[in-house]
Amino acid sequence: MLEMFSYEMAQLVEQLEQTIIQAEAGYAIDQINEIFRIMHTIKGAAAMMLFENISSAAHSIEDLFYFLREENPTGVDYSTLTDFVLEGMDFVKGELDKIEQGLPNDGDGTETVLKINACLKQLKTGGAEPTPASPAAGGAAPLAVGGSDAPAGKYARYKATVYFEAGSEMENIRAYTMLHNLGSQITKVIHTPENIIDESSIELIRANGFTFECDSKLTYDELHAQLMDTIFLRELVLETTREADSGTGTAGAQAPSAGAVAVAQGSNRYSAFIRFDEGAEMENVRAYTFVRNLEEHASDITHIPVDIVSEASIEDIRRFGFKTEFTSDKSLDQLQTILSNTLYISELALNMLEESAQQAPAPEPTQAPAPVQEAPAAAAAGEPAPAPADPMETPGDADAKMDPALMRAGAAEQPAAKKAQNSSMISVSVSKLDQLLNLMGELVIAESMVTQNKDLENLELESFYKEALQLRKIISDVQDNVMSMRMIQLSATFFKMHRIVRDMCKQLNKDVELKIIGEETEVDKNIIEHIADPLMHIIRNSIDHGIELPDVRAKKTKPRKGTVTLEAKNSGGDVLIIVSDDGAGLNRDKIINKARQNGLLRKHESEYTDKEVYQFIFLPGFSTNENVTSYSGRGVGMDVVSTNLEIVGGSVIVDSVPGEGSKFTLKIPLTLAIIDGMIVQLGDAKYTIPIISIQQSFKAKMESVFTDPSGNEMIMVRGEVYNLIRLYEFFHVESATTNIEDGIIIMIENGDQTICIMVDDLIGQQPIVVKTLPKYFKKIRGISTCTLLGNGDISLIIDPVGFFDK
Amino acid sequence: MSTNPEQSVAMSSPQHNEDTTKDKFLTFIIDDEEYGIEIAMIREIISICKITKVPESPSYVEGIINLRGDIVPVINVRNRFNKPWKEYDTLTCIVVIEYTNYKIGLIVDSVNEVAYIQEANILPPPSSKINYYNQFIRNIGRIDENVKLLLDLDKLLAS
Repeated sequence: MLEMFSYEMAQLVEQLEQTIIQAEAGYAIDQINEIFRIMHTIKGAAAMMLFENISSAAHSIEDLFYFLREENPTGVDYSTLTDFVLEGMDFVKGELDKIEQGLPNDGDGTETVLKINACLKQLKTGGAEPTPASPAAGGAAPLAVGGSDAPAGKYARYKATVYFEAGSEMENIRAYTMLHNLGSQITKVIHTPENIIDESSIELIRANGFTFECDSKLTYDELHAQLMDTIFLRELVLETTREADSGTGTAGAQAPSAGAVAVAQGSNRYSAFIRFDEGAEMENVRAYTFVRNLEEHASDITHIPVDIVSEASIEDIRRFGFKTEFTSDKSLDQLQTILSNTLYISELALNMLEESAQQAPAPEPTQAPAPVQEAPAAAAAGEPAPAPADPMETPGDADAKMDPALMRAGAAEQPAAKKAQNSSMISVSVSKLDQLLNLMGELVIAESMVTQNKDLENLELESFYKEALQLRKIISDVQDNVMSMRMIQLSATFFKMHRIVRDMCKQLNKDVELKIIGEETEVDKNIIEHIADPLMHIIRNSIDHGIELPDVRAKKTKPRKGTVTLEAKNSGGDVLIIVSDDGAGLNRDKIINKARQNGLLRKHESEYTDKEVYQFIFLPGFSTNENVTSYSGRGVGMDVVSTNLEIVGGSVIVDSVPGEGSKFTLKIPLTLAIIDGMIVQLGDAKYTIPIISIQQSFKAKMESVFTDPSGNEMIMVRGEVYNLIRLYEFFHVESATTNIEDGIIIMIENGDQTICIMVDDLIGQQPIVVKTLPKYFKKIRGISTCTLLGNGDISLIIDPVGFFDK
Repeated sequence: MSTNPEQSVAMSSPQHNEDTTKDKFLTFIIDDEEYGIEIAMIREIISICKITKVPESPSYVEGIINLRGDIVPVINVRNRFNKPWKEYDTLTCIVVIEYTNYKIGLIVDSVNEVAYIQEANILPPPSSKINYYNQFIRNIGRIDENVKLLLDLDKLLAS
């Protein structure tokens, strides 16, 4: 459940971020709609999972876009607006990360929410249109009667009734947010409806407003001002029920807090006695549901039996019935209708106990009655509102419920249509795909174990081999399909970079456009995870170091706006990802200088080719930037690039033309799981070398091999000299061929380096399924993984990178 | 030497309830000594199969085997105890155990029996460690006059 939630959220957040960045130049109406919809979904999902900080952040953004959508204001500073929204999204993302890692989502989004709210307020007042129902008109002035003189430092008790603008939706969450925003400034809060998490309270708030009482140190004016900040507030009635200094309190409302609600509502005390039908079963649960329903209309509920959670109460309820007492502002008749909707009730006796509350003087009678009178009227219109256990039983109620549902459906029409399109997609957990891939590998091996079985040797099996061929064909088709299921387009990874470019441009005052080409290129899921970080670092590097400030560019007769191009394409078994910019290019002298300072130079400066020089920037801690900025200068970023690429068996090459820009080419394999391998014999073992890294293989002649004074063997191939490694020495394999002329030399390359290794013999080339070595083994130089051969033997896969380690 | 790992004796499934495995030990023989491992750790016993050597590993690590698609490391208990190498014969077995979530094979001279040793008959080893392989002994189990050396897998498998 949680996994699904965080997966969906992550997708939504990503989608949102992209829409926002696309829209930054000016929000089109459908973009606003889309953002609004996404925020609405996030809010709903988060509220459902009880992640209130996320839902309140989403809520405030939603408000913002609701306003944009409804009012269509002009002269909005979209750039700042986008900043706020992105900040909000970052908060949500941070919380999501916490949730995924199983940490408590304890982040405090209040600051972000306040900022966004402030932004909205500013829009409302500063924007061309004044707010339709200016909250100030609500009559704050006469209300000031009460507690503006309440001495600070002491608690005064307040009662507030809040009405939200029609169509503001999700009133319960708005109410919750309002209280949440007040935070610790208020204590001893009692509010009606009591349960504002449940959606059924929405109707009640719409009809009766949201009433709460609280103790606060704030003065009347302060509290009033804070409440007026609430978004979509239509009307606020605030009164002081108890002065801070209780000695001077003249209003007769010093009633004990338990009774306060009752008194304030001018309600009556009722008692109800119910019995359930015989055979209704689960009477305690039914009673509980009954109480829950009642809670919407009444407060201060007591019941006998007191404990209806334990099953022991079932028997009691069956025998003696279920008694409740409660206080409600509804009339006897209304309650009768509401309660008789309960399922399986055989007997209901409802009595009014006392009417005394009516006489209790409300402190500000002139203001208070207005909303209260209005409330029952509205409530009556919305009746019957209670949610009985089974909606099927009460068609009238179902109709009443339809309305908000319909409204929501209307708002969600477009996403629904979108969903319908997407229904041909399903999401599958990666572990299942991994398992499928493993089985696939087993199948491939089993197939060759059968068709190349020793028992079949020397038999005339024409028909068998024909069928076997067919089997092999099908298996290889299935294999292709399994592999393709793991392939994901690079587009999501690429589009994420828009955000980085945007943020950096803002901070560094640069003007950069990100061009994306070939984002539909597909790469294995495991690999994609490893290239997002390298890409980000390279792009940061390009913008920070490469692209010049607009003025500088103008002087160099370049367009003021810089361009970073992100391109992907297939090339054989690899995918090339090219990041190029039209900036200043890499500065060879600077890099050489820095390398000299760090003592990295191994030969004379002039002997280094440009490519070799550029490789220095990938070393850890290497930065030519003198000033550490928030984006670069610590020498970490490019190091991440090379290490991450190493993990997936990729490489990076840098090209640069001073003054014209630089180009980073990342070469990554399409997939990790199944590769083409060359099986070679070494002693009695078979090793596998990835075909990708093999350049050529040949028989060597004694004359071309020589040894340098320190004992390193070299081999001359067509006028070039390469290091030679005898694999049996490297791996300490006995019983291998030691005569260089009897063995086979394989030239392998890794990035720009090339080396020759000697093995006994080549056996053949075949696709192999890569398996990890048991954890029992630590990192072995020159060996990365292993595979199973057709006959079930294990073959270790040679990792060419290991030969180049110094 | 058989090359077929399928000729295995399944000893216990991973979810064994306490009662059936309690106080039971699989005993095996190296030279003349009898050693025991708690039966709950044992996954299966297979005859010697083809072992692929892995470079750069200690001498007692014989290599890896293919156990129905699982790659399982195999160590030679004789060599781990610093006893001289002995040619594999028909009695030589690989005892596959599951240790901290991964499988590992132990090559032993021969498997003896499943012994029932009550807790009362399990004694701590003598404190003076004279023999090298003493360090791998956690306890000593006694059945009548027979003594079984109960192995400390943490130490045996520590690399």
